[in-house]
Amino acid sequence: MSTSLINSRLRAPVNVTWEITEVCNLDCSHCLSAGLRAAGRGELDFDQCRALIDEMARMQVFQVNFGGGEPFLRPDFLDILRYTHSQGITSCVSTNGTVLDDALIDDLLEMAPLYLQVSLDGARPETNDVIRGPGTFARILPGIELLAERRYPDFSLNMVVTRLNAHEIGEFDALARSYGAKTRLSRFRPSGRGCNTWDDYRLTREQLLELSAFLGDHPEILTGDSFFSLTPESRRKLGLNMCGAGKMTCAVAPDGSVYPCAFLCDPGLLAGNVTDQPLSAIWDSSPVLERFRQLEIETCRTCDRFDMCHGGCPAIGYFLSDSLGLPDPECLRAVTG
Amino acid sequence: MGAGAQAGAARPGAALPVQYLVPDWVRVRQESFGLLFYDVRSTRLTFVRSGDSLAAPAFAGPRRVLRVGPLEGARRAAVSRLLQDLAVKGLIVVDKSD
Repeated sequence: MSTSLINSRLRAPVNVTWEITEVCNLDCSHCLSAGLRAAGRGELDFDQCRALIDEMARMQVFQVNFGGGEPFLRPDFLDILRYTHSQGITSCVSTNGTVLDDALIDDLLEMAPLYLQVSLDGARPETNDVIRGPGTFARILPGIELLAERRYPDFSLNMVVTRLNAHEIGEFDALARSYGAKTRLSRFRPSGRGCNTWDDYRLTREQLLELSAFLGDHPEILTGDSFFSLTPESRRKLGLNMCGAGKMTCAVAPDGSVYPCAFLCDPGLLAGNVTDQPLSAIWDSSPVLERFRQLEIETCRTCDRFDMCHGGCPAIGYFLSDSLGLPDPECLRAVTG
Repeated sequence: MGAGAQAGAARPGAALPVQYLVPDWVRVRQESFGLLFYDVRSTRLTFVRSGDSLAAPAFAGPRRVLRVGPLEGARRAAVSRLLQDLAVKGLIVVDKSD
Protein backbone atom coordinates (compact mmCIF):
# COMPACT_ATOMS: atom_id res chain seq x y z
CA MET A 1 0.00 0.00 0.00
CA SER A 2 1.49 3.30 -1.02
CA THR A 3 2.30 5.53 1.92
CA SER A 4 2.27 8.61 -0.28
CA LEU A 5 -1.30 7.89 -1.35
CA ILE A 6 -2.46 7.35 2.24
CA ASN A 7 -0.83 10.66 3.13
CA SER A 8 -2.68 12.40 0.34
CA ARG A 9 -5.57 13.16 2.71
CA LEU A 10 -8.54 10.96 1.96
CA ARG A 11 -11.86 12.71 1.47
CA ALA A 12 -13.47 10.39 4.03
CA PRO A 13 -12.46 7.64 6.44
CA VAL A 14 -12.06 4.19 4.92
CA ASN A 15 -13.65 2.75 8.03
CA VAL A 16 -15.23 4.12 11.17
CA THR A 17 -15.18 2.35 14.50
CA TRP A 18 -18.48 3.02 16.21
CA GLU A 19 -18.86 2.15 19.87
CA ILE A 20 -22.61 1.89 19.57
CA THR A 21 -23.49 1.30 23.23
CA GLU A 22 -22.09 1.72 26.70
CA VAL A 23 -23.93 -1.34 27.95
CA CYS A 24 -22.01 -4.54 28.55
CA ASN A 25 -22.64 -7.75 30.44
CA LEU A 26 -18.95 -8.44 31.03
CA ASP A 27 -16.33 -6.54 32.97
CA CYS A 28 -13.05 -7.27 31.20
CA SER A 29 -9.89 -6.14 32.90
CA HIS A 30 -8.36 -4.66 29.72
CA CYS A 31 -11.50 -3.03 28.23
CA LEU A 32 -10.52 -0.08 26.06
CA SER A 33 -14.07 1.32 26.31
CA ALA A 34 -14.35 1.27 30.08
CA GLY A 35 -13.55 4.97 30.26
CA LEU A 36 -16.41 5.80 27.91
CA ARG A 37 -18.80 3.75 30.02
CA ALA A 38 -17.61 5.36 33.23
CA ALA A 39 -18.23 8.80 31.74
CA GLY A 40 -21.90 7.83 31.29
CA ARG A 41 -22.65 10.43 28.62
CA GLY A 42 -25.46 8.39 27.12
CA GLU A 43 -26.05 7.07 23.63
CA LEU A 44 -27.29 8.36 20.29
CA ASP A 45 -30.94 7.46 19.76
CA PHE A 46 -32.07 5.53 16.69
CA ASP A 47 -32.88 8.62 14.62
CA GLN A 48 -29.46 10.06 15.39
CA CYS A 49 -27.86 6.73 14.45
CA ARG A 50 -29.75 6.67 11.16
CA ALA A 51 -28.65 10.24 10.43
CA LEU A 52 -25.03 9.27 11.07
CA ILE A 53 -25.35 6.27 8.74
CA ASP A 54 -26.82 8.53 6.06
CA GLU A 55 -23.89 10.86 6.52
CA MET A 56 -21.36 8.02 6.27
CA ALA A 57 -23.07 6.80 3.09
CA ARG A 58 -22.82 10.32 1.65
CA MET A 59 -19.13 10.37 2.56
CA GLN A 60 -18.74 6.90 1.02
CA VAL A 61 -17.28 5.28 4.12
CA PHE A 62 -16.61 1.68 3.15
CA GLN A 63 -16.94 -0.10 6.47
CA VAL A 64 -18.28 0.47 9.96
CA ASN A 65 -16.76 -1.56 12.77
CA PHE A 66 -19.35 -1.77 15.53
CA GLY A 67 -18.19 -2.27 19.09
CA GLY A 68 -19.25 -1.28 22.54
CA GLY A 69 -20.03 -2.29 25.20
CA GLU A 70 -21.72 -5.34 23.80
CA PRO A 71 -23.51 -4.19 20.62
CA PHE A 72 -26.12 -6.94 20.65
CA LEU A 73 -27.40 -5.75 24.02
CA ARG A 74 -28.66 -2.56 22.41
CA PRO A 75 -32.34 -3.26 21.63
CA ASP A 76 -32.36 -1.52 18.23
CA PHE A 77 -28.95 -2.72 17.11
CA LEU A 78 -30.23 -5.10 14.44
CA ASP A 79 -32.24 -2.25 12.93
CA ILE A 80 -29.09 -0.11 12.93
CA LEU A 81 -27.17 -2.93 11.24
CA ARG A 82 -29.85 -3.47 8.61
CA TYR A 83 -29.97 0.22 7.83
CA THR A 84 -26.17 0.36 7.54
CA HIS A 85 -26.18 -2.48 5.01
CA SER A 86 -29.09 -0.97 3.11
CA GLN A 87 -26.89 2.06 2.45
CA GLY A 88 -24.15 -0.08 0.88
CA ILE A 89 -21.81 0.07 3.87
CA THR A 90 -20.12 -3.14 5.01
CA SER A 91 -20.03 -3.87 8.73
CA CYS A 92 -18.01 -5.81 11.23
CA VAL A 93 -19.38 -6.43 14.71
CA SER A 94 -17.12 -7.05 17.67
CA THR A 95 -19.06 -9.12 20.19
CA ASN A 96 -18.32 -10.99 23.36
CA GLY A 97 -20.42 -13.84 21.98
CA THR A 98 -22.50 -14.38 25.08
CA VAL A 99 -25.85 -13.52 23.50
CA LEU A 100 -25.51 -15.33 20.18
CA ASP A 101 -28.39 -17.69 19.51
CA ASP A 102 -30.06 -19.26 16.48
CA ALA A 103 -32.50 -16.41 15.92
CA LEU A 104 -29.77 -13.78 16.05
CA ILE A 105 -27.55 -15.76 13.68
CA ASP A 106 -30.50 -16.08 11.27
CA ASP A 107 -30.77 -12.28 11.25
CA LEU A 108 -27.04 -11.81 10.73
CA LEU A 109 -26.91 -14.33 7.89
CA GLU A 110 -29.58 -12.33 6.06
CA MET A 111 -27.18 -9.37 6.02
CA ALA A 112 -24.13 -11.27 4.73
CA PRO A 113 -21.41 -10.42 4.24
CA LEU A 114 -21.33 -9.21 7.83
CA TYR A 115 -18.04 -9.79 9.58
CA LEU A 116 -18.33 -11.07 13.12
CA GLN A 117 -15.46 -10.91 15.56
CA VAL A 118 -15.90 -12.87 18.79
CA SER A 119 -13.64 -11.90 21.66
CA LEU A 120 -11.97 -14.68 23.61
CA ASP A 121 -8.76 -14.06 25.49
CA GLY A 122 -7.27 -17.49 25.77
CA ALA A 123 -7.46 -21.03 24.50
CA ARG A 124 -8.31 -22.29 27.97
CA PRO A 125 -10.89 -21.21 30.55
CA GLU A 126 -8.32 -20.58 33.26
CA THR A 127 -6.47 -18.12 31.00
CA ASN A 128 -9.46 -16.33 29.48
CA ASP A 129 -11.36 -16.03 32.73
CA VAL A 130 -8.60 -14.14 34.53
CA ILE A 131 -8.89 -11.44 31.87
CA ARG A 132 -12.58 -11.45 30.92
CA GLY A 133 -14.05 -12.57 34.23
CA PRO A 134 -14.87 -15.82 36.05
CA GLY A 135 -16.96 -18.25 34.04
CA THR A 136 -16.82 -16.24 30.83
CA PHE A 137 -15.09 -18.90 28.73
CA ALA A 138 -18.04 -21.21 29.36
CA ARG A 139 -20.46 -18.39 28.47
CA ILE A 140 -18.67 -17.47 25.25
CA LEU A 141 -17.97 -20.90 23.79
CA PRO A 142 -21.59 -21.94 23.06
CA GLY A 143 -22.00 -18.94 20.77
CA ILE A 144 -18.82 -19.88 18.90
CA GLU A 145 -20.01 -23.47 18.62
CA LEU A 146 -23.31 -22.27 17.23
CA LEU A 147 -21.59 -20.10 14.61
CA ALA A 148 -19.54 -23.14 13.58
CA GLU A 149 -22.61 -25.38 13.53
CA ARG A 150 -24.47 -22.83 11.38
CA ARG A 151 -21.38 -22.49 9.16
CA TYR A 152 -21.32 -18.73 9.61
CA PRO A 153 -19.04 -17.68 6.77
CA ASP A 154 -17.22 -14.62 8.06
CA PHE A 155 -16.28 -14.92 11.70
CA SER A 156 -13.06 -14.69 13.60
CA LEU A 157 -11.98 -15.30 17.15
CA ASN A 158 -10.16 -12.30 18.53
CA MET A 159 -7.59 -12.45 21.27
CA VAL A 160 -6.03 -9.36 22.80
CA VAL A 161 -2.48 -10.57 23.29
CA THR A 162 -1.24 -10.05 26.83
CA ARG A 163 1.46 -11.45 29.06
CA LEU A 164 -1.14 -13.88 30.45
CA ASN A 165 -2.17 -15.51 27.18
CA ALA A 166 0.74 -15.01 24.75
CA HIS A 167 1.97 -18.56 25.37
CA GLU A 168 -1.37 -19.88 24.06
CA ILE A 169 -1.38 -18.20 20.66
CA GLY A 170 -0.69 -21.42 18.79
CA GLU A 171 -3.35 -23.26 20.76
CA PHE A 172 -5.78 -20.39 20.25
CA ASP A 173 -5.16 -20.51 16.50
CA ALA A 174 -5.85 -24.24 16.50
CA LEU A 175 -9.05 -23.65 18.48
CA ALA A 176 -10.25 -21.05 15.99
CA ARG A 177 -9.47 -23.32 13.05
CA SER A 178 -11.37 -26.16 14.69
CA TYR A 179 -14.48 -23.96 14.51
CA GLY A 180 -13.83 -22.82 10.97
CA ALA A 181 -13.03 -19.34 12.24
CA LYS A 182 -10.14 -17.08 11.37
CA THR A 183 -7.72 -16.09 14.09
CA ARG A 184 -7.37 -12.44 14.88
CA LEU A 185 -4.78 -11.09 17.29
CA SER A 186 -5.18 -7.60 18.67
CA ARG A 187 -2.79 -5.41 20.51
CA PHE A 188 -3.13 -4.62 24.18
CA ARG A 189 -2.82 -0.89 24.75
CA PRO A 190 -2.87 1.20 27.93
CA SER A 191 -6.17 2.86 27.07
CA GLY A 192 -9.44 2.60 28.97
CA ARG A 193 -9.11 0.04 31.74
CA GLY A 194 -5.90 -1.09 30.08
CA CYS A 195 -4.20 1.80 31.88
CA ASN A 196 -4.70 -0.03 35.15
CA THR A 197 -3.47 -3.39 33.90
CA TRP A 198 -0.69 -2.21 31.58
CA ASP A 199 2.18 -3.15 33.88
CA ASP A 200 0.79 -6.62 34.53
CA TYR A 201 -0.44 -7.42 31.01
CA ARG A 202 2.12 -5.83 28.69
CA LEU A 203 4.19 -8.33 26.80
CA THR A 204 7.72 -9.12 27.84
CA ARG A 205 10.58 -8.60 25.41
CA GLU A 206 10.74 -12.34 24.76
CA GLN A 207 6.99 -12.51 24.12
CA LEU A 208 7.16 -9.60 21.70
CA LEU A 209 9.92 -11.35 19.75
CA GLU A 210 8.00 -14.63 19.71
CA LEU A 211 4.87 -12.84 18.55
CA SER A 212 6.81 -11.09 15.80
CA ALA A 213 8.16 -14.42 14.56
CA PHE A 214 4.74 -16.10 14.79
CA LEU A 215 3.06 -13.37 12.76
CA GLY A 216 5.86 -13.56 10.20
CA ASP A 217 5.29 -17.29 9.84
CA HIS A 218 1.48 -16.96 9.68
CA PRO A 219 0.39 -14.35 7.15
CA GLU A 220 -3.16 -15.70 7.36
CA ILE A 221 -3.54 -14.41 10.93
CA LEU A 222 -5.59 -11.22 11.04
CA THR A 223 -4.28 -8.36 13.14
CA GLY A 224 -6.42 -5.35 12.27
CA ASP A 225 -3.12 -3.59 11.59
CA SER A 226 -2.31 -3.79 15.29
CA PHE A 227 1.23 -5.06 15.03
CA PHE A 228 2.75 -3.36 12.00
CA SER A 229 5.52 -1.88 14.15
CA LEU A 230 6.50 -5.33 15.34
CA THR A 231 6.08 -7.57 12.34
CA PRO A 232 8.78 -8.62 9.90
CA GLU A 233 9.17 -7.58 6.28
CA SER A 234 7.18 -10.61 5.10
CA ARG A 235 3.89 -9.09 6.32
CA ARG A 236 4.55 -5.69 4.84
CA LYS A 237 2.00 -5.96 2.05
CA LEU A 238 -0.78 -7.30 4.25
CA GLY A 239 -1.97 -3.99 5.57
CA LEU A 240 -1.01 -0.58 6.82
CA ASN A 241 2.58 0.34 7.59
CA MET A 242 1.64 3.39 9.60
CA CYS A 243 -0.89 4.67 12.10
CA GLY A 244 -4.20 5.27 10.30
CA ALA A 245 -5.76 7.52 12.96
CA GLY A 246 -7.27 10.56 11.30
CA LYS A 247 -5.92 9.44 7.92
CA MET A 248 -7.86 6.25 7.24
CA THR A 249 -10.12 5.94 10.25
CA CYS A 250 -11.79 7.62 13.16
CA ALA A 251 -13.94 6.46 16.05
CA VAL A 252 -17.41 7.46 17.23
CA ALA A 253 -18.30 6.99 20.89
CA PRO A 254 -21.81 6.02 22.07
CA ASP A 255 -22.72 9.68 22.64
CA GLY A 256 -21.54 10.74 19.18
CA SER A 257 -18.14 12.06 20.21
CA VAL A 258 -15.52 11.61 17.50
CA TYR A 259 -11.90 10.62 18.19
CA PRO A 260 -8.93 9.77 15.95
CA CYS A 261 -9.25 6.03 16.62
CA ALA A 262 -10.85 3.57 19.02
CA PHE A 263 -7.68 3.46 21.09
CA LEU A 264 -7.50 7.22 21.41
CA CYS A 265 -10.91 7.97 22.92
CA ASP A 266 -9.57 10.47 25.41
CA PRO A 267 -11.10 13.86 26.28
CA GLY A 268 -7.87 15.53 25.21
CA LEU A 269 -8.30 14.12 21.70
CA LEU A 270 -11.97 14.96 21.14
CA ALA A 271 -12.41 15.95 17.49
CA GLY A 272 -16.09 16.88 17.66
CA ASN A 273 -19.53 15.39 18.16
CA VAL A 274 -21.90 14.28 15.41
CA THR A 275 -24.85 15.80 17.27
CA ASP A 276 -23.22 19.22 16.87
CA GLN A 277 -21.88 19.00 13.31
CA PRO A 278 -21.81 16.45 10.48
CA LEU A 279 -19.09 13.81 10.54
CA SER A 280 -17.84 15.13 7.20
CA ALA A 281 -17.26 18.57 8.71
CA ILE A 282 -15.40 17.04 11.63
CA TRP A 283 -13.29 14.93 9.25
CA ASP A 284 -12.52 17.95 7.09
CA SER A 285 -11.82 20.57 9.72
CA SER A 286 -11.02 19.10 13.13
CA PRO A 287 -7.63 20.35 14.38
CA VAL A 288 -7.26 17.11 16.35
CA LEU A 289 -7.56 14.93 13.25
CA GLU A 290 -5.30 17.29 11.31
CA ARG A 291 -2.74 16.96 14.05
CA PHE A 292 -2.67 13.19 13.54
CA ARG A 293 -2.32 13.60 9.79
CA GLN A 294 0.73 15.76 10.37
CA LEU A 295 2.11 13.64 13.21
CA GLU A 296 5.68 12.52 12.63
CA ILE A 297 7.79 10.62 15.08
CA GLU A 298 10.99 12.51 14.52
CA THR A 299 13.20 10.25 16.62
CA CYS A 300 12.28 7.29 14.38
CA ARG A 301 13.29 8.91 11.11
CA THR A 302 16.79 7.46 11.08
CA CYS A 303 15.60 3.94 11.91
CA ASP A 304 16.11 1.33 9.20
CA ARG A 305 12.50 0.17 9.73
CA PHE A 306 10.97 3.64 9.45
CA ASP A 307 9.29 2.82 6.13
CA MET A 308 7.67 -0.20 7.75
CA CYS A 309 6.06 1.50 10.75
CA HIS A 310 6.60 5.29 10.71
CA GLY A 311 6.92 5.31 14.47
CA GLY A 312 4.17 2.79 15.21
CA CYS A 313 1.09 3.32 17.37
CA PRO A 314 1.02 6.76 19.05
CA ALA A 315 -1.59 5.61 21.58
CA ILE A 316 0.93 3.77 23.71
CA GLY A 317 3.14 6.80 24.25
CA TYR A 318 0.13 9.08 24.65
CA PHE A 319 -1.43 7.13 27.48
CA LEU A 320 1.87 6.46 29.20
CA SER A 321 3.19 10.01 29.02
CA ASP A 322 0.21 12.20 28.04
CA SER A 323 2.01 13.46 24.95
CA LEU A 324 1.91 12.72 21.26
CA GLY A 325 4.86 12.19 18.96
CA LEU A 326 6.64 9.56 21.03
CA PRO A 327 7.92 6.38 19.39
CA ASP A 328 6.10 3.12 19.91
CA PRO A 329 7.94 1.42 22.81
CA GLU A 330 7.03 -2.02 21.47
CA CYS A 331 8.44 -1.69 17.98
CA LEU A 332 10.78 -4.37 16.69
CA ARG A 333 13.87 -2.18 16.90
CA ALA A 334 13.10 -1.11 20.46
CA VAL A 335 12.69 -4.75 21.40
CA THR A 336 15.77 -6.06 19.63
CA GLY A 337 17.89 -3.12 20.81
CA MET B 1 -10.93 17.13 -6.68
CA GLY B 2 -14.53 16.17 -5.99
CA ALA B 3 -16.34 13.17 -7.40
CA GLY B 4 -18.85 15.39 -9.14
CA ALA B 5 -16.18 17.34 -11.01
CA GLN B 6 -14.53 14.15 -12.19
CA ALA B 7 -17.79 12.58 -13.20
CA GLY B 8 -18.39 15.54 -15.44
CA ALA B 9 -14.94 15.25 -17.03
CA ALA B 10 -15.32 11.66 -18.19
CA ARG B 11 -17.73 9.98 -20.58
CA PRO B 12 -18.80 6.34 -20.41
CA GLY B 13 -16.85 4.17 -22.81
CA ALA B 14 -15.61 7.16 -24.78
CA ALA B 15 -12.06 6.03 -25.27
CA LEU B 16 -11.86 2.27 -25.06
CA PRO B 17 -13.57 -0.51 -27.02
CA VAL B 18 -14.96 -2.16 -23.90
CA GLN B 19 -16.91 -0.77 -20.99
CA TYR B 20 -16.23 -1.83 -17.40
CA LEU B 21 -18.69 -2.29 -14.57
CA VAL B 22 -18.02 -2.20 -10.84
CA PRO B 23 -19.41 -5.46 -9.44
CA ASP B 24 -21.71 -5.76 -6.43
CA TRP B 25 -18.87 -6.83 -4.13
CA VAL B 26 -16.80 -3.71 -4.78
CA ARG B 27 -17.08 -0.13 -3.59
CA VAL B 28 -15.05 2.60 -5.24
CA ARG B 29 -14.75 6.29 -4.59
CA GLN B 30 -12.94 9.24 -6.07
CA GLU B 31 -9.88 10.59 -4.29
CA SER B 32 -7.45 13.35 -5.20
CA PHE B 33 -4.97 10.81 -6.61
CA GLY B 34 -7.56 8.80 -8.54
CA LEU B 35 -9.69 5.92 -7.31
CA LEU B 36 -9.84 4.00 -4.04
CA PHE B 37 -11.33 0.52 -4.31
CA TYR B 38 -12.64 -1.61 -1.44
CA ASP B 39 -13.39 -5.29 -1.95
CA VAL B 40 -16.25 -6.27 0.35
CA ARG B 41 -15.23 -9.94 0.18
CA SER B 42 -11.76 -9.39 1.57
CA THR B 43 -12.05 -5.83 2.98
CA ARG B 44 -8.86 -5.13 1.02
CA LEU B 45 -8.11 -1.64 -0.30
CA THR B 46 -6.59 -0.84 -3.66
CA PHE B 47 -5.24 2.64 -4.31
CA VAL B 48 -5.18 3.54 -7.99
CA ARG B 49 -3.21 6.54 -9.17
CA SER B 50 -5.47 7.27 -12.13
CA GLY B 51 -5.76 11.03 -11.84
CA ASP B 52 -8.83 12.18 -13.73
CA SER B 53 -8.65 9.39 -16.35
CA LEU B 54 -11.21 7.29 -14.50
CA ALA B 55 -14.34 8.42 -12.68
CA ALA B 56 -16.10 6.41 -10.00
CA PRO B 57 -19.76 5.54 -10.46
CA ALA B 58 -22.35 5.67 -7.66
CA PHE B 59 -21.23 4.18 -4.34
CA ALA B 60 -23.78 1.35 -4.48
CA GLY B 61 -26.64 0.23 -6.64
CA PRO B 62 -27.22 -1.62 -9.90
CA ARG B 63 -25.13 -1.35 -13.06
CA ARG B 64 -22.33 0.93 -11.97
CA VAL B 65 -20.27 1.88 -15.01
CA LEU B 66 -16.65 2.94 -14.51
CA ARG B 67 -16.31 6.04 -16.63
CA VAL B 68 -13.20 6.48 -18.74
CA GLY B 69 -12.09 9.88 -19.90
CA PRO B 70 -10.89 10.67 -23.43
CA LEU B 71 -7.43 9.14 -23.77
CA GLU B 72 -4.71 9.25 -26.36
CA GLY B 73 -1.31 7.67 -27.01
CA ALA B 74 0.76 6.51 -24.07
CA ARG B 75 -1.89 7.52 -21.56
CA ARG B 76 -4.45 5.36 -23.34
CA ALA B 77 -2.11 2.37 -23.25
CA ALA B 78 -1.32 2.92 -19.57
CA VAL B 79 -4.98 3.18 -18.60
CA SER B 80 -5.79 0.07 -20.64
CA ARG B 81 -3.16 -1.88 -18.70
CA LEU B 82 -4.48 -0.47 -15.45
CA LEU B 83 -8.02 -1.56 -16.29
CA GLN B 84 -6.84 -5.06 -17.17
CA ASP B 85 -5.03 -5.27 -13.85
CA LEU B 86 -8.16 -4.16 -11.97
CA ALA B 87 -10.18 -6.76 -13.89
CA VAL B 88 -7.72 -9.50 -12.90
CA LYS B 89 -8.18 -8.45 -9.28
CA GLY B 90 -11.95 -8.71 -9.67
CA LEU B 91 -12.44 -5.01 -8.92
CA ILE B 92 -14.07 -4.36 -12.27
CA VAL B 93 -15.69 -6.63 -14.85
CA VAL B 94 -16.16 -6.26 -18.58
CA ASP B 95 -19.68 -5.17 -19.47
CA LYS B 96 -21.14 -7.93 -21.62
CA SER B 97 -24.63 -6.50 -21.80
CA ASP B 98 -24.37 -5.33 -25.44
